[in-house]
Amino acid sequence: MKAHHLKAKNIIEFGLNFNTGREKQPYVTISTKQYKLSVLVLMRIVNLGDDMNIKKFISKPLKVLAPFVAASVMATNPVMADETCMSPYMVKIVGQEDFVYVWTLGVEGLGDGQDKMVTVDVNPKSDNYGKVIASESVGGRNEAHHSGFTDDRKYLWAGGLDSNKIFIFDVHTDPAKATLVKTIDDFVSKSGGVVGPHTTYALPGRMIITGLSNNQDHGGRTALVEYTNGGEYIDTYWMPTDDNLQGAHKGGQFADGYGYDVRALPSKNVMLTSSFTGWSNYMMDFGAMLGDAEAMKRFGNTMVIWDLHTRKPKQVLDVPGAPLEVRCAWKPENQYCFSTTALTSQIVLLHDNDNDGMWQADNVSDIANPADIPLPVDISIQSDDALLWVNTFLDGMTRAYDITDPHAPKEVYSKKIGNQVNMVSSSWDGKRLYYTTSLLGNWDKKAQDNDQFIKLYHWDGKEMTEQFVIDFHAEKLGRAHQMRFGAYSLYGKTAKVEQAKNPIVAMSK
Amino acid sequence: MKYSSLKVSLLIPFFFYSNYGFSEEITAQGADKVRDFYNEEHFIIEEPEAGEQSPASGKPQTINGVRIGPGDDKTGYETTGYTTNSVAITARQGIKADLIRVVENPPLGLPKIPVPVDNPLTAEKINLGRKLFFDRRLSLNDTFSCAMCHVPEQGFTSHEVEKAVGLEGRSNRRNSPSIYNTAYLERLFHDNRETSLENQIWGPLLSKNEMAMTSFGHVLQKLSTLKDYDGLFEAAFDGEGANILTLGKAFASYQRVLVSGNSAFDRWYFANEENAISDQAKRGFELFRGKGQCISCHSVGEKTALFTDKLAHNTGLGFKRSMGKKPEKERMLIAPGTYAYVKKSKKDLVGHPEMADVGVYEVTQNPDDRWKYRTPTLRNVILTAPYMHDGSMPDLKEVIAFYNQGGMLKNESGFPNVTQSPLIQPLGLTENEINDLIAFMETLTGDNIAEVISDAFSTPVGDTTNEH
Repeated sequence: MKAHHLKAKNIIEFGLNFNTGREKQPYVTISTKQYKLSVLVLMRIVNLGDDMNIKKFISKPLKVLAPFVAASVMATNPVMADETCMSPYMVKIVGQEDFVYVWTLGVEGLGDGQDKMVTVDVNPKSDNYGKVIASESVGGRNEAHHSGFTDDRKYLWAGGLDSNKIFIFDVHTDPAKATLVKTIDDFVSKSGGVVGPHTTYALPGRMIITGLSNNQDHGGRTALVEYTNGGEYIDTYWMPTDDNLQGAHKGGQFADGYGYDVRALPSKNVMLTSSFTGWSNYMMDFGAMLGDAEAMKRFGNTMVIWDLHTRKPKQVLDVPGAPLEVRCAWKPENQYCFSTTALTSQIVLLHDNDNDGMWQADNVSDIANPADIPLPVDISIQSDDALLWVNTFLDGMTRAYDITDPHAPKEVYSKKIGNQVNMVSSSWDGKRLYYTTSLLGNWDKKAQDNDQFIKLYHWDGKEMTEQFVIDFHAEKLGRAHQMRFGAYSLYGKTAKVEQAKNPIVAMSK
Repeated sequence: MKYSSLKVSLLIPFFFYSNYGFSEEITAQGADKVRDFYNEEHFIIEEPEAGEQSPASGKPQTINGVRIGPGDDKTGYETTGYTTNSVAITARQGIKADLIRVVENPPLGLPKIPVPVDNPLTAEKINLGRKLFFDRRLSLNDTFSCAMCHVPEQGFTSHEVEKAVGLEGRSNRRNSPSIYNTAYLERLFHDNRETSLENQIWGPLLSKNEMAMTSFGHVLQKLSTLKDYDGLFEAAFDGEGANILTLGKAFASYQRVLVSGNSAFDRWYFANEENAISDQAKRGFELFRGKGQCISCHSVGEKTALFTDKLAHNTGLGFKRSMGKKPEKERMLIAPGTYAYVKKSKKDLVGHPEMADVGVYEVTQNPDDRWKYRTPTLRNVILTAPYMHDGSMPDLKEVIAFYNQGGMLKNESGFPNVTQSPLIQPLGLTENEINDLIAFMETLTGDNIAEVISDAFSTPVGDTTNEH
């Protein structure tokens, strides 16, 4: 318990440090009851545990906790809702989401041919349920890939793996229309040569961005890059390499310097990064790459454990076969994370087994039949840490693994979603699962197997039932990739949109 | 580097946590143990014998602090004994070199550099050409410079892919050729289609599957908006600004001085330094000009040696790619020492059909030129893997093995390769002789490689900035 409390302090200070210089936090008036409740929610979010000294914790001056409280107050209202894969620093939503923002790749010769943020109405009470209600084109085909909200959930950052641009969308002024307000176009020069902005992940007041490549050889050596929520560059943290481990412990054979995803586990003061491949591979025709013996050697075989507070790498772990998405358990007592390897089809458990700060990576289950190279892609952990959804791109399947024993996941359900499937986003209550299809512009299946859609399924714990599907080819939109949820209630709004008085002046370029 | 048997024994359970046993182990012929599951339907794991040496050739060396070879080294990736040998991107620092000195003093083994009368070499032009060479803003979406495919520490080619990948990931049919010693070529590209270094740059700049600029004017207009070029063309070209001719001349000037000679072979052969190369390499040279007949195309003169006749030949490889049958199943490396079999039908689902490549015929339209490609120089050859016009051979051993069996005179259906060069014949080289030949080719690395790489590293990569 003492340890928990110390870490809680760290986190508060951490939040403060990194709030320096950011926009003023919104002033909130709340009741004591609301405040206590919100602190409980906050603790839940940051994995502090319910058993810590609440009185001491909430005796912190209100202003200290303001950013968190502002978020968690909203979280205590029936506003809460969002998928289970996002930053613990962000307000979570447990109710019905109103919108899904789909970061969509433009296709040459289809519609306007450029990347766009597509807003889909997903509230069953809405007249537009299951329809595209807005689409914001950004210019160019940037290899649209992943996106993530700032911790205050007002802005959605979406990266282009090819053009290295980061598009920042306002999602709070009118949640029914994600609106482009700023484009970062000098990510490569600012970061000192990082290419392929991938995960845009919220830390308090900051966005941490994983790179996939570099501007020197378009290979896999890369870095983490930190920005303020306002879009100002802060620092670059290169992945450890053999010649410069930066103090990290190399426990195995590999320190390749590759990157992919990032997640934080604040209660352990760690960030975890995974590793994929460089520009030459992720942009290459997938079939050509499979036949290119040199290219097939250029995949990541490592994960790195970082000190969350100092951003220093602590450990390089051997995880062969390109570990991609990283998802951490939510329950305070479950201090572990999962990843899956794209090429060797393993579920990997990452844990600090002996609680001595030394992490280990264990392959705990096959995914489907690894010899078929099903290509595990997106994964989603249920908020009660009981299920892990794993999509496999090449067979178009989603599979649920019972992870109540994280050391021995068991496949308990599977369903074919389409000819191909990539992303899965789950509502906090686990009842709604959204799926999209695109993996990478040049990796997607060709011709009639190139399904492009968003589908919603309801999940009752035993069976999935399709609710709607939007065909992104028929709608002339492009390739549907990552989904993020939006809700009016996050911003104290109702479906009738309120006009913000002073919306995004600070963000406009 | 010796492989540790302990590492191997630890790694195996790591790959296969519980579901696979090793009861179906098959031991193949030769040094490598092969682990095979379910009759080729499952993974294979290859592990080195305890104490087995990692392949020496191709393993990057460091000279004067400069890594010769990819910063992201994959030597030995084929076995579970692979260990990374990655260097930090931030370590890629260098010192500018006096490249122009080779004009007056060509290195031992190489002739005087031919310089066009209308483009005399100057330091200003070389510096400008080098800046352009590393500038990613010269592409449609600011992601591609020449150096993205012609990577300095990778022999000015790319070790990371067999075939070059262009803008937006578009496929190319051929391997990026090295630009070392292109100063001596009258015809450029694998198919000899271009006539001078001055002209050459426009192909890559304007090809949709390379840098994808849309017109001459587009390139020049874009260049005019880049403030860091203000005055540079005028200073290099007597007041003349950037235009179609001066741009080509600037690029050509940098590439022209990237000559590399005075190798160990040169010192032995042309300067009579008896101990410059090993006895094995000397045996290799005898095979090179004797039994191997390599010298027929990879020419060596009395005072200098370009190691190319500059002509195009059909070796059988292009024919094999175009007319040969593809296997239904391919063995594919999916992690260090771990292989799987991938069916062609599955690969075809996620890939566009391979584009045909008929070589010099595409330029001349003469059927006699089908599948002909220019003889590449062998200078710096160990720096330029993977090999052949399509990058399909990972090492020199495989290249020699291909020539040793005499090309491909007909395909599986009996369709004849009528334009195969008569110089391509079965050679009957033994394994020892092949190793001797490789030892000889390893002596062909120029003495200025580290200097040229360091010079390249000293040049900032041109990326979009908002600081003017």
